[in-house]
Amino acid sequence: MRNELTLRRRLLTALVAGALLPAALVGCGIPDRTEVQVDGRGPAGEPGTLNGSGSQPPTRSATEDPKQFITEYLDAAAGEREQAYDRVKKFIAKEAQGRLPKKKQSSEVELTVVRLLESPEARLLTNEGNWEVTVRVQQVGVLRADGTLDKPTAPETEYEFKLRRADPGSQGLVITNLPNVLLLSVTALRQYYGTHTIYFWNSDQSQLVPDWRYLPNAVPVERRVTEVVRWLAGGPSEWLAPGVTRVPDGTAPINNATGSDQRWEVNLTMPVADDDRLAKFATQLAWSLPDLEGQLDLKIQNQKRRTIDLEQERAVHPLYPNLRVPERYCVYDGAIHPLAIGSEPVGTVPVDADANRNVVSAALSRAGDEVLAALVVTRSDQKQRLMVGTGPGPVTEFHSSAHVYRSIGRPIWLRSSDRQHPSGLVVADGTLYRFDGAAGMSPLAGMSRAVTAVAASLDGHRIALIMGGALYVAPVSVDGGETNVGTPRPLTTRLTKLTAVDWYADNQLVFAGNDGRQPAIYQTSVDGAVETPLIRDTSAPVSHLAAYPGGPSGPLPSFSYMYQATVAYRNNPVGTKIERSQVRDVADGAKQSDPSVPFFFY
Amino acid sequence: MVTSPSPDSPTPASRRLSAARALWRVLAGRAARFAAGAHQTWRRSLQLRVVTITLVASSLLVGGFAYLIADKLTNILLENAETDVLLRLQNGSDYASKQFNLYSQPQEAQLQDTIDGTVNYLAGGDPAQTSGVVVAITADSFAGFIEPRTSPDVQVRPLISPELRASVAAGNVAHQVRTGTLDGERTKYLVYGSPVPTRFGQLELYYLVPLTRQDATAADARATVVATGVALVLLLGLLAALVTRLVVTPVRVAARTAQRLSAGLLDQRMVVNGEDDLALLAASFNQMATNLQRQILRLEEMSRLQRRFTSDVSHELRTPLTTVRMAADLIFAERDEFDPAVARSAELLQAELDRFEELLTDLLEISRFDAGFAMLDSEPTDLVPVVHRVTERLAGLAERVGVAIELDLPESPVIAEVDPRRVERVLRNLVGNAVEHGEAKPVRITLGVDQSAVAITVRDHGVGLKPGEEKLVFNRFWRADPSRARQTGGTGLGLSISLEDARLHGGWLEAWGAPGQGAQFRLTLPARAGDRLTTSPLRLVPADATLPFGGPRSGGPLAIGPGSDVGALAIGPAEPGDRAEVAP
Repeated sequence: MRNELTLRRRLLTALVAGALLPAALVGCGIPDRTEVQVDGRGPAGEPGTLNGSGSQPPTRSATEDPKQFITEYLDAAAGEREQAYDRVKKFIAKEAQGRLPKKKQSSEVELTVVRLLESPEARLLTNEGNWEVTVRVQQVGVLRADGTLDKPTAPETEYEFKLRRADPGSQGLVITNLPNVLLLSVTALRQYYGTHTIYFWNSDQSQLVPDWRYLPNAVPVERRVTEVVRWLAGGPSEWLAPGVTRVPDGTAPINNATGSDQRWEVNLTMPVADDDRLAKFATQLAWSLPDLEGQLDLKIQNQKRRTIDLEQERAVHPLYPNLRVPERYCVYDGAIHPLAIGSEPVGTVPVDADANRNVVSAALSRAGDEVLAALVVTRSDQKQRLMVGTGPGPVTEFHSSAHVYRSIGRPIWLRSSDRQHPSGLVVADGTLYRFDGAAGMSPLAGMSRAVTAVAASLDGHRIALIMGGALYVAPVSVDGGETNVGTPRPLTTRLTKLTAVDWYADNQLVFAGNDGRQPAIYQTSVDGAVETPLIRDTSAPVSHLAAYPGGPSGPLPSFSYMYQATVAYRNNPVGTKIERSQVRDVADGAKQSDPSVPFFFY
Repeated sequence: MVTSPSPDSPTPASRRLSAARALWRVLAGRAARFAAGAHQTWRRSLQLRVVTITLVASSLLVGGFAYLIADKLTNILLENAETDVLLRLQNGSDYASKQFNLYSQPQEAQLQDTIDGTVNYLAGGDPAQTSGVVVAITADSFAGFIEPRTSPDVQVRPLISPELRASVAAGNVAHQVRTGTLDGERTKYLVYGSPVPTRFGQLELYYLVPLTRQDATAADARATVVATGVALVLLLGLLAALVTRLVVTPVRVAARTAQRLSAGLLDQRMVVNGEDDLALLAASFNQMATNLQRQILRLEEMSRLQRRFTSDVSHELRTPLTTVRMAADLIFAERDEFDPAVARSAELLQAELDRFEELLTDLLEISRFDAGFAMLDSEPTDLVPVVHRVTERLAGLAERVGVAIELDLPESPVIAEVDPRRVERVLRNLVGNAVEHGEAKPVRITLGVDQSAVAITVRDHGVGLKPGEEKLVFNRFWRADPSRARQTGGTGLGLSISLEDARLHGGWLEAWGAPGQGAQFRLTLPARAGDRLTTSPLRLVPADATLPFGGPRSGGPLAIGPGSDVGALAIGPAEPGDRAEVAP
């Protein structure tokens, strides 16, 4: 009886304790599922569009004119790459859409940029509105996803399209036969793309070298920062690559750069991101975003590492720190003389009078306080040689080149090269030579054809060449005092038989040639895409061309150039002859002649 | 083709049904037995009650506290997690909003890249080091243009409930706890959602944070609280059991002692330990027992003295009475020679002396009973001649008062082991009373027998007994009507002596009576001396007795309803009207 009681008691105890406590506690764990609890209103957005320029490429219109239709078709691929296929497809009949190249990742979409040499020719095939349109083109290049225009790869000079009436229900025409490339006309490139200059450091990180990119105008301003950062991370244009250094391998933007109220934020991954690298990158970025003002936070792996004031950064690190107001000179009566044009400052010849004799052409450049002078002089046997001298002006000591040549073109100084080892380029007897401060000349290999002219950009890492009458640009790398020229990239121009070239601005070239009927001077971008005639008829072939690429400087307006077509001319206004009266420091007994080979000294 | 089972063979279903019923009956029976046992234990054990009540009360209390603590703890954990996630979510939403603000149309393909990048960025880049947090950006409004992205890449749709999506789509920051399987293990997730405003509309950002750690912590805390609570409850129960035992044991001892006391062991005492309340109880109990013992002994002594006095008085009276008797007999024998008035006095003297002698005899008999000297002299006796003898002896009296005595005796002899002298005295007394109160109506004597007992009833049709007088009639010197003079022989002790005689046999003597219906006395004796009686062969209430209300009308219904007193039932003839009948 007692045992039973105890048993019952225990049973009851266990029951009570075992049932009550867990029953109470089961309810207070984290539940498997709760109701939706609202914490409050979320952030609200401000609707609206971004301030892109908004010029969108045309869509297929209802035009019945096959020429107009094809012209529109050649514009259609412009704009944001992702929708290029969709826009283009609207022009193409369903059965022919397979003829387009397969759609690729947006980063691999390439557009073949062509220049229409004349308006398309249309031929009616049948009475039912079937047309054949022929387009004569010049291959300008390949527009890549990173905004670079690479050298042309396709050989075609003519494209054929077949058109028919659009399917019932819609108006206009559709393409039934087309070349298997995505085409873009130069006019569309000009109209629907903006150009942007970004900068890369040269090999010793002393000079920023411009690189030229295209970005669709449809991309809003806010996203341009992101694009620029991507471009910088992606590296320079293919042709420029040997002349510059890339950002460290593995550098990549993390998501978009964002910003508001003059404060921008760029988040990157960058291996070994020491302060020096970051400072360099910051300068690079500041110059690559020339329109941007305010603060920019540079984050590495989400850690804020550096804040830069963009304007201040640009002010502290100018692109061309030693640039002075240019002075004009010319060769008059076998000697260099200053030119006095308008209110422009007039210099004194920084070459000792003893050396300033029998000069055919000359190149003067400043390197700090020193003057670099390279003179082409004629010997008594009509052979020519190069005289090079350096020193604080006036330069008295000149070295002579070891060899003599039949003909030496105008020499140029590469401004970025080492102060201790100045170097320049010169064309002698169709071969490109580099020369040093002691007039030591060594030929540069890799030029496929005879070089007739050479010109260097302000940064000194890009040169323009005329080889075999065609225009090229090439990178220059300076490595341990040794100057090397990379593989030239051809530029497509309308002109032929080119004779002279010079840099007109950071990314613009001015060059002279023949447009088929008369000699002319044209301007083109550094990739040859955007070409503009400057002087349609120079009456005589231009033998010499010199320009100041540094933009407006003092009283000198931007895009100033001088040329010699039999006699010397200058622009502003175009085709103004340089008069004898403008030549200064002429001795009384000097022989009467015309001023020749005018050039800028800066 | 389906064949139906033949109707006469039991289907498996019905077999199962009957088996289940049998099982249910067994279980129900066991449960009922267990419940009854538990109930009995509950009623009997104070300790069980105290312990149970303590356990229940402390369980409720401790359970309540434990619930509060555990609940609070869980809430704190959950709130912390929510605060953390909310902060992350807000930052994430700001970041995503900045990223997406660069796009004004959902079709822009770089938007998808940006969404990918943003999700990866918010998830912390490396999926292996994100501690299970899943970040998702969905675009319910732009399903055609924007694909939802998740980092790490898992299927989160099932975890984001439609309600949450609706709430977030309506522009709310909202959260919900959901359980689901993302990486192979079923886990609770805190799902937090926020709208991400963009220039083209709204996207939604979700954080799915596993609550594994919080859950484990809460479970740990819960286990600790439960263990502590259970230990506390058990401790309290043990404490209650100990304390109760401390109290109950002396009480039980007291109860046992009291039982022994009441059984007559008057010198039983409790052990007094210490000076506490229980010791006081024991001391008081002992004192009470001592007092009771003294009182009982005193009363016994007094009673003994009283009985002795009665016996002595009776004996002492007998000797002078014998002398008076002899003198009175002489006077009575010579009464014819006296003056009639003196003769009448002699007759009276003679009669009263008879009565006095009877009274004295009865008193002596009673005092013998009281002193416990009465001895039973049983022998197998045929009761029929006894009844005849009694009837014959009272025939004269009956004739005088005009009462007919009817006998209802079995034809065979009725043998019982009785003391014939005492049985005869009892019968004489009963029949005499009946004749005396018979009011000239017949008196019926019935002899009944069964296997274990014999019974004799004496029925008269006199004034009968009022309710309650059935017991009083056996009191000494009791008189139904005190004003009524005692005319006939009764001393007032006859029924008392008869009752004692019946008890001496181990039998019963009972009375029934109703006003106006006469009375019936029944003597029941065991057939063998020393047997216990269980039933009587004859009814106490005569068959011709009417019910108090006069009985139901022949064939009429009986009405049973609430009586005048609380809890009493009244039975009477039914009134015509609304009623419910119970068919026989």
